[in-house]
Amino acid sequence: MRLMHTKLPEFIAKMKNAAKKGQPEKAFALRGLENLKSAKMQSLRTGRIEEAVAELASRPDVERVELIVMPRVPETMHTVVIKGIAADGSSPKAVVDVVNILHPTEEVELENCREVEDRRPAIGRH
Amino acid sequence: MNALQVKLIAEGRINDKFIPLDIVFVDKRDIAAAGIDDDKAIRAIAGHLNSPCGINIFDLDAVTTTSDGIMIEGAIVEMTAADRGKINADFGRLSMARIPYSEEILALEPHLKQWKKRYPGRALYRGPNPATKIIPVHNVVISGRASNNNSATEMMNIVTMEEILLPILGQMQCLKGEGNVLVGNTGAVISVGIGMTVAEQFGRVFPTRQFKAGETAHGSGEYAKTLKKNIPCIVADKAVLAGYIMNALDDGCLPGRDIGCSPAVLCVAKHYGAPMDLDNIAGRAWEELESVGINRAFLEERVAPLSRPELLARADELIPGVEDARALPAAEVARAVEIPLA
Repeated sequence: MRLMHTKLPEFIAKMKNAAKKGQPEKAFALRGLENLKSAKMQSLRTGRIEEAVAELASRPDVERVELIVMPRVPETMHTVVIKGIAADGSSPKAVVDVVNILHPTEEVELENCREVEDRRPAIGRH
Repeated sequence: MNALQVKLIAEGRINDKFIPLDIVFVDKRDIAAAGIDDDKAIRAIAGHLNSPCGINIFDLDAVTTTSDGIMIEGAIVEMTAADRGKINADFGRLSMARIPYSEEILALEPHLKQWKKRYPGRALYRGPNPATKIIPVHNVVISGRASNNNSATEMMNIVTMEEILLPILGQMQCLKGEGNVLVGNTGAVISVGIGMTVAEQFGRVFPTRQFKAGETAHGSGEYAKTLKKNIPCIVADKAVLAGYIMNALDDGCLPGRDIGCSPAVLCVAKHYGAPMDLDNIAGRAWEELESVGINRAFLEERVAPLSRPELLARADELIPGVEDARALPAAEVARAVEIPLA
């Protein structure tokens, strides 16, 4: 099971369920996956994240849980496909290029957090 | 209490141009004078400012190169991005690589004849060695909102998305509190010029010798002049730039072959009466130069060569670049600040 992956809608449902488990009144919000329409999520971490969502939601001093997904590497290189489309839907030419995107790191989300437990593996490990 | 002397360009407005984060320049000699190491200095600055900030440490005994291959005195040796006192452990800091001197590198990077002739024995730093990075990202450090990019010559707040260009010569003037700097918008000419790079291993922008003198790294035709046009910048007094360009020309560097074909280099060479290798300038580079009014006829126009003092006196008139600029004392733009040390 360690190498399997979870469907994106299933990942989202799992997190919502984990937040509501035993305390349906607690609010839950997920940010950062809005642009993904189809994706497979690493199963090993999916379980750990579910556990963390449930753990925080179960705290009496927590009213709502936010789950934010952001690039860990703050500069990501993306392939860009520029397609010319003909009237019949075919493409007479496409250009493929790249663009680097700079992202803020996790510190932008951690202001005012009294305790931060970093459970991430070192970069290069999973 | 012990304190560290730094220069600070504070977030806010100068000449109606927005400085998107706190910008700190530190002379490594001041770190030594405070009796601390770089790590403690950077953490003290980040903690004291508690803001998104970029921090550059300089070695004034070293030398570096501009993106168009002009060698100058002083170099940035380490860059940091910090936010609310935190420095990202993986991506917040990078040191520049010291380039070993050899005849081989002079053959591969002909602009370094300036090093041999003018600055023998001085340490050379440009960008970082990619092997020292945790993954091969661009020459950038990021912590939270703060980003310090292109080996510490452009900084931005990634959340507000506001940016400022800080070419190395302007930084040097701010660090030393010498003369005036120009605070303005980068404009079309510099936007084109920063693409006219030279081939460098561990360069400021590129880690390998990807683009040679006479080529353009932009390669985007008429769009090149728009890329950084409206981004604020703080640049050196044009006479300072002209002086260093004339040094390179005196050392036998040919614009378009040994040093980059940026508008500033070409305009100084034209009026200084220095030879240029216009035939070696690539078509794509010409396209970008012509989009800002620098064409072959303009460069081949016969003008009476100026002496060094004459050219220095007319640098503002003869070197194009920077829009809506105002000359301000470097010591006012970058204020001397004491960082308390515990």
